[in-house]
Amino acid sequence: MTTDKDQLIIGWLYPNLMSTYGDRGNTICLRQRAQWRGYNVTVMPLDQQTSAADIHKVDIIVGGGAQDRQQEIVMRDLSGAKAQALREKIEAGTPGVFTCGSPQLLGHYYEPAIGQRIEGLGLLDFVSKHPGIDARRCIGNVVFEVTASRLGQDLSKMLGTAPLVIGFENHGGRTYLGKVEALGRVIKGFGNNGEDGTEGAFYKNAIATYSHGPLLPKNPFIADWLIQTALAEKYQTPISLSPLDDALATQARVAMFKRLGIVT
Amino acid sequence: MTLTRLDRLRLGLAVATSKTVTSLIRLLGLGAGSVFPGEIAGRIQPRVLPLLTRQVKYGVIIIAGTNGKTTTSLLLRTMLERQGWRVAHNATGANLINGLMTALLENTSLTGKLNADYAILEVDENILPLLLQQIKPRSILCLNLFRDQLDRYGEVDIISQRWLKAIAPLAPETVVIANADDPTLSHLGQKLSQQVLYFGLSEPEQYLDEMPHAVDSIYCPSCGHALEYQGFYLSHLGDFHCPSCGFKKGQLAIDSREWPQILIGIYNKYNTLAAVLAAQEVGIAQETILDTIKNFQAAFGRAEELKVAGKQVRILLSKNPVGMNETIRAVNQIKATGKASTTLIVLNDRTPDGTDVSWIWDVDTEKLVALGGNLIVSGDRVYDMALRLKYSQTNLSEPGLKLIVKEDLREAIATALELTSPDETLHIVPTYSAMLEVRGLLTGRKIL
Repeated sequence: MTTDKDQLIIGWLYPNLMSTYGDRGNTICLRQRAQWRGYNVTVMPLDQQTSAADIHKVDIIVGGGAQDRQQEIVMRDLSGAKAQALREKIEAGTPGVFTCGSPQLLGHYYEPAIGQRIEGLGLLDFVSKHPGIDARRCIGNVVFEVTASRLGQDLSKMLGTAPLVIGFENHGGRTYLGKVEALGRVIKGFGNNGEDGTEGAFYKNAIATYSHGPLLPKNPFIADWLIQTALAEKYQTPISLSPLDDALATQARVAMFKRLGIVT
Repeated sequence: MTLTRLDRLRLGLAVATSKTVTSLIRLLGLGAGSVFPGEIAGRIQPRVLPLLTRQVKYGVIIIAGTNGKTTTSLLLRTMLERQGWRVAHNATGANLINGLMTALLENTSLTGKLNADYAILEVDENILPLLLQQIKPRSILCLNLFRDQLDRYGEVDIISQRWLKAIAPLAPETVVIANADDPTLSHLGQKLSQQVLYFGLSEPEQYLDEMPHAVDSIYCPSCGHALEYQGFYLSHLGDFHCPSCGFKKGQLAIDSREWPQILIGIYNKYNTLAAVLAAQEVGIAQETILDTIKNFQAAFGRAEELKVAGKQVRILLSKNPVGMNETIRAVNQIKATGKASTTLIVLNDRTPDGTDVSWIWDVDTEKLVALGGNLIVSGDRVYDMALRLKYSQTNLSEPGLKLIVKEDLREAIATALELTSPDETLHIVPTYSAMLEVRGLLTGRKIL
């Protein structure tokens, strides 16, 4: 039976342009976890065919990584009323997860290895730069602890332990935070720039990260936080999600923590 | 070509040492010795590669691309050998510089004389520019460029720019054989002043129903506008044109309808056509080419068929999203006839596999899960693969599907064989290092 409180719309930024490195796994994970619990999920691509009004309809926003050329095409399209709509959504607290290329577009600008600086939406206070075509990429398994205050507290409460996130980073660009809060503290890997120990950024309910893997399937508590926050925002009432069997995710995490020598 | 006495001396020493090392590795049962001897030779005589390749009588043929190198090389090599030519070839799939040197040294006498009419070198896509600084090939086959192991290589755009920069200064008589259905390679060909022969499909009935997700290049490499596709054959390979600047696929030098294909799958159609063009370029007779295609035996792990404990097994190496999507397409065709209820997927994340396994989320595993049956998973990243398959299920439990997780590869294979009935084929879908392990276990022989 469907009620009017079981709808969830996932907005997926430029699936054909920003989907390198398996990031659609985040969309798949959110969709399946909501569907398995009986919610009626729609995945809406947010691309060249999308209007600003469409962007206002979505409950969660997902964005993935892109090659530099594709990123330029996205930024050319994401301007004017559409850029404004995305800005308003994030400011209003619509939850979202933005990986690798897409956070770069939320910041002030991105300087690619080849070509012109790409201006971002300037929504999150950070800048990203590629140090050059021959510079070493930041590549490898990454582990970080979520330290962003409100998110960290929510996740700790859900888990009953410190929220450790596991993923795989693979980026040429380096990100330097301004006043925005970091998403987490790097335990293993490079994070934003390999220098200051920060990873990602957290603003309102938007999560920006360099962590692929993809992020959500192996850190299902973040997926559930996004769904829960989206539904609570949408229906203006607290939501508690029924538990799912995450044994496979736990085993995948344990195997990688063990390999990396991380005691949990 | 003249060698100085010092060059000759160092080459001789390099050859002698590396040959001793090869014998030692084999004597001690450490493997086939397909990489290390080349490394040693290169230390003693850094110019070993140019010095050897210059001695190849009719020329060096380079085969580069993300998928299909080994199969295409083997097919072309067989055609050349049937014509009666001696071919040097890095047949073990060791496609970095040391592997190439090792292969050439195999055909070299202790005095440094290389005895081969042709050399076929399958080359890692990132190594091609480096290699072209050292040797002058007769022809270069550019098979395709897909997203492969980005943790090592960076992005498709960057690779194609590097290729262009490396091929452009080569001699004008160099022949480039390129896949016209790949926009990146059509563009590369159109930028070159050398002769370019294009292969591709002309079979719209083979178009995919929908655009696959694992697509790398749908924007015009020339002007950046979205390309218009009449249809896709495989990933971003298809019939396309740019409505903005007029860029279109290169003019085909071969009609795909006139040729049979080797093995199974669309990707092997492309491999066949590439080899045919290269064989025609060196003047091999039509009958010889056709006969070789008809009698072709798969390279190890590439749609290779084995009989194990009375059961039919087919190993389908799948190392990236495009490769695995095509494997699933081929397996599903057989599954639909009721002759393939069981599939074993083995996911490793060692250096030759790529240490990033994110790519499995770009594979349409939903299509594999949809047909049900027994899905067994194993490998270094067994739980990551299991998780991908779990998220491919529409409902939390699918009645027709059995997902079996086995950390131990031996157990995984034993279970898979057990579940396969005698009139079926077990399909094993491994990444590169997993394929070597699987093969080692199935044939009782390890490959280094």
